[in-house]
Amino acid sequence: MSMEQERDLTKRQMIVCDHVSKTFYTKNTETKVIADLNITANENEFLVLFGPGQCGKTTALNVMAGLETATSGTVTVGNEIVTKPGPERGFVYQTTALFPWYTVMKNVEYGPRARGMSKKERRKKAQYYIDLVGLGGFENSFPNQLSGGMQQRVGIARAYCNEPAVLFMDEPFGHLDAQTRYLMQEEIIRIWEKERRTVVFVTNNIEEAVYLADRVIVLTNCPTRVKKEFIIDLPRPRNYTDDKFLNLRAEIQDVVDKTL
Amino acid sequence: MKNKAKQKQIAIKILATIFSFLIFGLLWEMLVRFSDVGRVMPGPLETLQSFFEHFTEKYSAYTLPEHVWRSLRRVLTGYFFAAIAAIALGILMASYKTIDAIVSPLFNMVRPIPPVAWIPLAILWFGINDGSKYFLIFWASFLSMVQNVYAGTKSADPKLIGAAKMLGANDGHIFLTIVLPSAVPYIFSGLQLGINSAWAMAIGSEMIRSTDGVGWLIIRGMDNNNLLQELVGILAVGIVGFALASVLRGVEAKLCRWNKRGT
Repeated sequence: MSMEQERDLTKRQMIVCDHVSKTFYTKNTETKVIADLNITANENEFLVLFGPGQCGKTTALNVMAGLETATSGTVTVGNEIVTKPGPERGFVYQTTALFPWYTVMKNVEYGPRARGMSKKERRKKAQYYIDLVGLGGFENSFPNQLSGGMQQRVGIARAYCNEPAVLFMDEPFGHLDAQTRYLMQEEIIRIWEKERRTVVFVTNNIEEAVYLADRVIVLTNCPTRVKKEFIIDLPRPRNYTDDKFLNLRAEIQDVVDKTL
Repeated sequence: MKNKAKQKQIAIKILATIFSFLIFGLLWEMLVRFSDVGRVMPGPLETLQSFFEHFTEKYSAYTLPEHVWRSLRRVLTGYFFAAIAAIALGILMASYKTIDAIVSPLFNMVRPIPPVAWIPLAILWFGINDGSKYFLIFWASFLSMVQNVYAGTKSADPKLIGAAKMLGANDGHIFLTIVLPSAVPYIFSGLQLGINSAWAMAIGSEMIRSTDGVGWLIIRGMDNNNLLQELVGILAVGIVGFALASVLRGVEAKLCRWNKRGT
């Protein structure tokens, strides 16, 4: 075990999912989406939830963020039990959830503004994060004038600008073309290394999971539970064609194949 | 390159417009000249001439622009209050289930009744003069606007509301920054419908009983068998209606730069 990991283990647990389950009820049916989920994420850890499509990853993330309530079990972030959405937790959406009537600047400063920060202060903060995600010069553009990758950068800056302790990302690169996706994976690591946060990142792409994660949690099919956990002990920046990278990838693939 | 293509498009559009008016005028002129229609109906050139002459010449007490202004004043007053009332009621109904439950049944009963059906009652309630006209214009445009404001207020994307909540916005802030902007394009199409209804109702109510306005002009033309006066009136109604709609579209384009409808 490396030195770094040893230090990780002494770190504070930021997110704790304790026996979380989620069932959706409609008139005549009930669909159990999450069976029994026990997950912890440490402070400043990059945790990836990986699972097949429609397995309930997004639901799990929504429950952790407070966008949905658990049917049973609790989610604790920091020292507080999550019951509703709140600014202590940032969220980056699968497809863009930017406010189309606001410019990039106004989107990014939305959180601080909603919480009553003075204009001067929030502008300064927003500018910092706009520059951080590499969108300097686009402050006054509207979302529909930006490409998909740029829109996701705005989404990331907007989530960061509230300075939440934890960030949830729901397949944020799923709708980008392959080339942009690689670029954004590099970018998100660069941003995260500069501004460390606890990140829970959902994906259905193994390569992306291994490239990004400190730790990958493989989920089973719906109703989902934790299948297996992998610590990705590779130095960054990682190389997609590195032997160790490919081995880990194969190892995870193996587990997933058995899930299906 | 892009600019040039755009210029070309605009040029084609203008030419097409001129062309369509020319064709229409030519057909009209031919109909008047070479058929029996000409015995009662003036041609396009004669109509245009009379139209411009009446910028200075009077129909009864007023020139044509003065008549237009009198109609317009009625429309804008009634419409202004109707817009405020419709926006307020639409938002309230969409935001509060109780208000919706109380108002909706009544509103849904009243809505299918054409506004003209209220003319006799309006005259009874508000008098034969401008009072009833203001009311009718208010009512006609109000009815056509409420529904859109309601739908617009309901149209906010739950995902965006969720995103706003995640960023720490309270209900009031969400209303101002998410719900209202989502509703704006709907409200504007409501305002468009409203101005059309208001203008139509103004002309209609002036036809019933009036001493001025474009509606009066047209109906008096009919009474006196003066087709030329009717045609001038109709032309004025068309131009003003078009102008009103254009002004609204312009305002919307300014306000909704972010929206595809607006650009």
